[in-house]
Amino acid sequence: MEPDIVYRPRGRLPGTALGAHRGRDAGGLGTFRDQVPFLRMPDARRIDVRATLRDPFEGTHVRRFESRTAIEVWALVDLTASMRFRGAADRMDLVAALCGALAASATRIGDAFGLIGCDAEIRADVTLPASRRRGIGAAVAARLRDVRCRGAHADGMAQAGRHLVGRPKIVFVVSDFRWPEALIGQVFAGLARHDIVPVMLADPAEDADLPAWGLMELDDLEGAGRRTVFMRPALRRAWIARERARAETLSRIATAYGRPPFRLAGRFDADALTRHLIGT
Amino acid sequence: MNDALARFSVATPLILWLLPLALLPLWRSAQRLVPVASIAAGPADGLSRAIGWTLRLAGLLAIGGLILALAGPYRNGETVTRTGIGAQVSILVDRSGSMNETFAGRQPSGAEESKAAASRRLLGDFVGSRAHDQFAVTAFSTAPMLVVPMTDRHEAVRAAIRAIDRPGLDYTNVARGLAMGLSQFGTQGAQVSRALLLVSDGAAVIDPRVQGDLRAAFAKIRPNLYWLFLRTKGSPSISDKPVGEDTPQAAPERHLDLFFKSLGTPYRAFEAEGPEAVAAAIRQIEALERDPIPYTEQRPRRDLSGFAFGLSLFGLVLLVAGKLAEADIRRARGSVAPSAAEAPPRRMAA
Repeated sequence: MEPDIVYRPRGRLPGTALGAHRGRDAGGLGTFRDQVPFLRMPDARRIDVRATLRDPFEGTHVRRFESRTAIEVWALVDLTASMRFRGAADRMDLVAALCGALAASATRIGDAFGLIGCDAEIRADVTLPASRRRGIGAAVAARLRDVRCRGAHADGMAQAGRHLVGRPKIVFVVSDFRWPEALIGQVFAGLARHDIVPVMLADPAEDADLPAWGLMELDDLEGAGRRTVFMRPALRRAWIARERARAETLSRIATAYGRPPFRLAGRFDADALTRHLIGT
Repeated sequence: MNDALARFSVATPLILWLLPLALLPLWRSAQRLVPVASIAAGPADGLSRAIGWTLRLAGLLAIGGLILALAGPYRNGETVTRTGIGAQVSILVDRSGSMNETFAGRQPSGAEESKAAASRRLLGDFVGSRAHDQFAVTAFSTAPMLVVPMTDRHEAVRAAIRAIDRPGLDYTNVARGLAMGLSQFGTQGAQVSRALLLVSDGAAVIDPRVQGDLRAAFAKIRPNLYWLFLRTKGSPSISDKPVGEDTPQAAPERHLDLFFKSLGTPYRAFEAEGPEAVAAAIRQIEALERDPIPYTEQRPRRDLSGFAFGLSLFGLVLLVAGKLAEADIRRARGSVAPSAAEAPPRRMAA
């Protein structure tokens, strides 16, 4: 049994749907929030007797409680051909595991889960509207496992913001982020009103596990051609440094929009994601 | 360029239609492809690019070389004209009966060698010594005999010279011998150094009527004239004046010498009274005749498919080297991990 992913949206959420997260509105149930004069919330059932007696001006006070609100969790998945990469792990398997776990975790606590797949356009065959239905996790994972990634660029990601309107949501942007820097900024800017959680798919085969010696004929999955590379320690160091610089660039852009990216490499670990979500 | 191409041909030209196949390595590679998310992930690297192109060229070479080799390329046989150092030498050998005698004027016996044998030995060395000399051999006694026309096949010339110690015949008719010796030079190549080497042990009167013709021929061809006079001991020298009347009949050697001197062409006479003197004279002639000479060389048709196969092999070796150096990002650590897991039991077994 996969442990649930525990997430905490930033701030207090607006909305009336009952859920698991701290709401902006005060309601009758939940955690104590504050006391207000009776006239602001004329609810006789929640008169705070002690506070009323303590008030030298003999005003009547009412307890207010924090409402619990649901939030929509969306996964925005990059479906370009580069996601077909298979190193130590199959990249799409990782994505399917992540989204399946997210869907299961979200629906278990009453949040809705929606899925948007993008390559050059938004992929209608992958996209799922937000749903609170339990047991959606397995369906999401199956759908992502079967999906065929063929797009050559991820420009559709920038349009995803238009599909996510209304109250703020948590949006997991799942990609390897092998995009032009401008597109990264554009996608994040389009989602700026939501709580963005970038999930960067990486693979040890792409940096730490590169061979020190040997000849490799690289074939770009997105059709950018082939290239022969003669690996040697100096080139390997340069390569790893380049990858690190790319990760730092992404981190810099993503942090400006809220959270640093979560690096998903090799194996999906729900607890690691939980730690990341709680810690940032 | 066109001339250079025209020298090459192939046995089966139809196979050359397959040559476009040699371009295959430009879009397919023998290397195992490593799919990567982004080709831009790897830093740009000049050495890698060079190796990539080298491998592509090697593939091109391997396929192209094989197709070419199958088509059976060859270089046409041809006659090449080149310039070397040497001369055209027309050797005119006296075959009169007296050549069979030794320098002492006797029939050879024991270790003695006749004049003909000595000149054969020394002239044979002369012929082999320089690669680009051309020789013609003419013998004469009563009538001239064309032995070998002007050629650079030294083997044939040496064979002709080996034959000059066959027993000689009859008398010495210098005039007709000279005429044929001169005719050996042919007409072309006035800039070539030409030498007429007369080897004789005596002389004869040249008919005044023939003298005019000879003069005209010498003036036209202008050879360097060398007279190797094999003088028998006791016989009159070239320069000796006869005691009595100074007529060509009385001293033919002297008058032949005078005739040669009057020709106006470079002329030297060597009087040799023994084999050593003959050798010295020939060395001198060899040293004098040093001029550029155009010579022709026959090149036979040459099969070039070995060369094409070699090219192909070179390409294949490069490709195999590339294949052996192959690395894969997926197997890089994956292959290490299982062996590390196997290592402890092996250690225990040891």
